[in-house]
Amino acid sequence: MNRKPTAPVLALQYVILIVMSFVAFYPLWFALLASGREGARLVTFNLTGMFLPIEWTWANYQTMFFEKPLFTWLRNSLYVAGLTTIASLLISTSAAFAFSRFRFWGREAGLIFMLAIQTFPGVLSLIAVAQMLTALGLYATHEGLILAYTVGSLVFSTYNLKGYFDTIPIDLEEAAMIDGAGPIQSFLLIALPLARPALAVTALLGFLSGWGDFIFASVLIPAPNEMRTLVPALYTMANDRNVPWGEFAAGGLLVLLPTMIVFLVVQRYFQGGLTVGGVKG
Amino acid sequence: MIAWSRSRKFLLISAFVLPTLIGLLIFNVYPILFSVYTSFTDRNRVRPLPNCEVLLTGILDPVCWPVFEANRPRGRGFYNPQEPPFQNYQDVLGIFFQPESLTALGLVAVCFVPLIGVVVWQRLPVSRSIKIHPSWLWGGALILGVALAVALNVQAQYSTLEESGDFFIVMFRTLVFVILRVTISFVLGLLLALILNSEHLPGRTLFRVLLFIPWAASSLAILIALIWQFLFRDQGTVNQVLQAIGLNGLPWLTDAWLAFGVVVFVDVWFSYPFVMIVILGALQAVPADTYEAAEIDGASWWQQLTQITLPLIRPAILPAMVLTSITAFQIFGSAFAITGGGPSMGAGNPGMTDFVIIYAYKQIFLTQNYGRASAFAVILFIMLFAATMYSLRLTRITKGAYDA
Repeated sequence: MNRKPTAPVLALQYVILIVMSFVAFYPLWFALLASGREGARLVTFNLTGMFLPIEWTWANYQTMFFEKPLFTWLRNSLYVAGLTTIASLLISTSAAFAFSRFRFWGREAGLIFMLAIQTFPGVLSLIAVAQMLTALGLYATHEGLILAYTVGSLVFSTYNLKGYFDTIPIDLEEAAMIDGAGPIQSFLLIALPLARPALAVTALLGFLSGWGDFIFASVLIPAPNEMRTLVPALYTMANDRNVPWGEFAAGGLLVLLPTMIVFLVVQRYFQGGLTVGGVKG
Repeated sequence: MIAWSRSRKFLLISAFVLPTLIGLLIFNVYPILFSVYTSFTDRNRVRPLPNCEVLLTGILDPVCWPVFEANRPRGRGFYNPQEPPFQNYQDVLGIFFQPESLTALGLVAVCFVPLIGVVVWQRLPVSRSIKIHPSWLWGGALILGVALAVALNVQAQYSTLEESGDFFIVMFRTLVFVILRVTISFVLGLLLALILNSEHLPGRTLFRVLLFIPWAASSLAILIALIWQFLFRDQGTVNQVLQAIGLNGLPWLTDAWLAFGVVVFVDVWFSYPFVMIVILGALQAVPADTYEAAEIDGASWWQQLTQITLPLIRPAILPAMVLTSITAFQIFGSAFAITGGGPSMGAGNPGMTDFVIIYAYKQIFLTQNYGRASAFAVILFIMLFAATMYSLRLTRITKGAYDA
């Protein structure tokens, strides 16, 4: 595989890459084009219009910003996803550290228990969770959603972080213990700083899952409009009778682009954070 | 920490582990218990209220707790544990455990025996002494399987199974979807990773970024799926392009098979970048000398691929593929946004793309058949649990820092 490939093979490789890149990129491009069009009826496009920007208006963006509560939705989503990330990091790092470092009676059983619990599809526990939140008075509030999201991501975060902690040699902590450090100190001062890549990856994945989740948000915060988060709000918009496609595309892009930029910037760390973490063979 | 007393150790470990444990107990274990209990009741749209007199309902259903004495529901429509208790399970599984269905299932399984036989044969030591070319083996097995299928009239067996209840159809379709999606995204990811791994490709970083976009967008899968849904509509881009080159447009979203294909396509679109990146990482860990040595020995590129590359990257990609399979099974957002559960296959039947989670979602939120949906959920849970336990053997995930 190290010889310089022959010209036809090279051409074939480029063709495959170009075709696949086009397929990968086209939906976003289409959304961009749609967001710049006047009017809700996308079916009036002609063929060229689906590939090239033949007209452009900012009207849809203006509507989304100033008439529809896009900022409110954005703020809600940021609040929910942000707090979820923080809470889940706090809780799962301590649990991951304990599972990795300490030897206690229920350790292996606890890990298997967590994995087993996780396999129950979240959608199906929604009713019970909704009733539980109603009982706690947290139904249709952001705090209730944060609670549900945090617990939902606990198992994955804990496993990932535990895997990463496993790869940090224990000698450092043992040396610190000889010098008199207690377990909490070795957790905060040694393990956590060393685990920064995995923390970043886990934080990002947790944030993204809270940011883009649909089912939990749509069931647990059904109304009013000002309380909803981005994805359910946009989805409802797209499922109206008169789909305001231009506005939907504008709103969707405004949500997608920052998410993707963040993702792309951080993705180079993914190989380290993910493959060294929970997915180690 | 070595010299601490037991109680102090216990306190410390609890401090670390307790928040997680409590969270899981409340928000994961309790819903499971509640679902299991509901699966034995006849709760549905006309009977949504709990009958708090019954002991277990009083304990499990939050509405019955003393805190809410004031909001205790009145009126009609109470649900009770069912008589007979397994009624919901029977409804969901249908006549699955009746002799007709089991025979049908057995006959279908028989058709796969030749293929399994070939796999087993290749593992046996005796196969090394008897030289049969692999293509003869696989070809023969395939022909034998097809012959059996025709002889046993598999078509009729499948129809029998279909009528045995929703569970089989939904599960079967989801399995087909998972197999298709995992296979196609693996092949695609492998192909792209192999291309991107070559050093003689100027601009490959750009392509890597571009090809990675679908996964970056996957956290907002539903929104992109809505865009795909538009593209595949009758007047959408795909049909317009087809018409421009003179072909007729196809009813992508209304024909059962085409809709299934579209859902598979979109899901592969979302999932191939992950596979691609994992394989790329694994490929880059393979030393170049191995390939050079193989070339010196005269290996063709296909032999290099199958005998060197694939076995060497296997430990790295196997956990990723298992993970992909398990998540593929739980797909909801993208399929729901595109077809909403699929072109209808008749009243009362699950739609063509009514995969497991979508079917359950509809049962819970649309027809509000809580009892039945809970039975379905419990069965599903048992299956996923078993699969996950088995996959644990493939990745030794429960090791701690002190284990080797």
